[in-house]
Amino acid sequence: MFCEKSIELIRELHRMSDGQLPAFNEDGLRQVLQEMEALYEQNQTDVNAAKAEGRADLIPSIKLRHCCLLRNQRCITAYLYDRLLRIRALRWEYGSVLPPNVRFHMCAEEVQWFGNYKKSLASFMRSLGGGEGLDITQDMKPPKSLYIEVRCLKDHGEFEIDDGTVILLKKNSQHFLPRWKCEQLIRQGVLEHVMS
Amino acid sequence: MDTQSYLPVQPGVGMEENFLSLDDILLSHERLPARTECTFPRLGFLEKTTDSQDITEGTKMELPLWLSKGLYERKRRVLSVELPKVYREGWRTIFKADPNVVDLHKMGPYYYGLGSQMLHFDSPENPEIAQTLLQTFIGRFRRIMDSSQNAYNEDTSVLVEHLDCLEKTLFRSGQSGLNSFQSWEKGQASQLTASSLVLNYRKRKMTDIQP
Amino acid sequence: MSDALSEDGSDINQDDSREEDVMTPVELIAKLEEAWLNEKFSPELLENKSEVVECVMEQLTHMEANLQRVKKGDAKASIHRMEIDRIRFVLSSYLRSRLQKIEKFFPHVLEKEKSRREGDTSLLSPEEFAFAKEYYTNTESYLKAVALKRMPPNLQTVDMLKAVPEPCLDSFVFLRVKERQENILVEPETDDQREYVVDLDEDSQHLMRYRTIAPFVSSGAVQLI
Repeated sequence: MFCEKSIELIRELHRMSDGQLPAFNEDGLRQVLQEMEALYEQNQTDVNAAKAEGRADLIPSIKLRHCCLLRNQRCITAYLYDRLLRIRALRWEYGSVLPPNVRFHMCAEEVQWFGNYKKSLASFMRSLGGGEGLDITQDMKPPKSLYIEVRCLKDHGEFEIDDGTVILLKKNSQHFLPRWKCEQLIRQGVLEHVMS
Repeated sequence: MDTQSYLPVQPGVGMEENFLSLDDILLSHERLPARTECTFPRLGFLEKTTDSQDITEGTKMELPLWLSKGLYERKRRVLSVELPKVYREGWRTIFKADPNVVDLHKMGPYYYGLGSQMLHFDSPENPEIAQTLLQTFIGRFRRIMDSSQNAYNEDTSVLVEHLDCLEKTLFRSGQSGLNSFQSWEKGQASQLTASSLVLNYRKRKMTDIQP
Repeated sequence: MSDALSEDGSDINQDDSREEDVMTPVELIAKLEEAWLNEKFSPELLENKSEVVECVMEQLTHMEANLQRVKKGDAKASIHRMEIDRIRFVLSSYLRSRLQKIEKFFPHVLEKEKSRREGDTSLLSPEEFAFAKEYYTNTESYLKAVALKRMPPNLQTVDMLKAVPEPCLDSFVFLRVKERQENILVEPETDDQREYVVDLDEDSQHLMRYRTIAPFVSSGAVQLI
């Protein structure tokens, strides 16, 4: 049957339901587009025959191929759109700089989409409150205390806190830091929030 | 909403399909028994049982829902669609007797979704199908809700294995509510945690490295 | 806030957005929390509350400035600091909810904005409108560049309004009544039910279809919880 390739693309994403981004399947996409081209050409031939030779009996087959074309179009669009939603999530979870192993899974146009999304979000946040600006990717959970106990899970280097003090984030070192400064590093798995 | 950033397109409600929903695309890939009511010239290669160039009138085939829906027309019938067994009278009686005994994963896994989609093909049995879907759901709902709200740190895999896709989603959202409530009770709700996406990427990286 | 201060306050019942004549900080934060909860629980994007957002941001700056003047180690300072953090959380969470819905429903949000009559309050703040437009263009040109332009000529466009789902107004929401409402028509759940009429008493709580009470959310007569 037609459209088997395009359902494969969908399954590939569906299997990773937690939102991870699998590698862009350029090959799969190309195969679907090739199938579409073939379906379209066959339909052109049949449409011409139906018109010129009055072959009305060809119409059911034309219709069937057209259904397949629409199906392929839907699957590809859904595949690409769902990937955008996953890429969007990356901006919120990782911040604006992506680790190379994640970027590696994106195609050139996706990298561009991500860049534009990042820019839009940044200028949105900058313009909040009449130009004062507010970073809404912070404060993801309601604050319980100003300072929290954190343990460093890997070497991260020097880190400046609000009052200008610089501390060294060394693996296994433990610190008492302003919550607001740590949020992103905790999300990225550099620091761990230690609950007393 | 603040904890999960990947928000996939949700499946449509009732008889609607959402164009971009992966779940709906997989649902519409389910196959239905159909019979051609005319000849489809030059497509014989799609039907393995024949050497003919065409798919001849009266051929019985299994067609995916999306294609059946696309070809189906009331006026110029090129296709007739049969009900899958699980929606026929025999099974409807079983569902009526005790909806809880049926393994809807095996019989589905899109029992409700596909059932609702069947209503697009105007069969005289549609009212009964719709009734059965609704009553089955009501009949099973209590148990699903009960276990999703009370099974904490327990192995629920046996129960979940027998659920339809829609029921599974329901069960999971009940469980995630229960878990967040428990973590709030233990005072852990305010703990800042690493993104699950980040953690999973790291796991994957590790397995990539392993030979 | 300066615009609001210059109003004479006599037209309280005229228009929601002009209602903020002189507001105390406590009232302002209450307004923010109200908007936040409504936005968090309503399935559709609600009218923007730019004025509240701007006032709260001003308030935060003001509080920060005050804090600078307090001596280090003062117990009062950390309580104020905490208060700032809490307000900033609510504000961020509110703006995030909105942005999330704008992304989720972008073609519909923009369509609604287009068909808005002059004088009606805009759904989107100017910043949100700019964001939504960019999101649309970015997404559309991405789909075009990667796949659509490589498809047969009759399949090179996808109608985003049809492709991206609309908010589901039939979802159920919890609500608390702030002003008594009479004769609310409730639609039947199943074929064998009939529609019926209810009164919503002040301070009573309900679980209802969003569609039924949507107008009272925007008028402020009920609060989603």
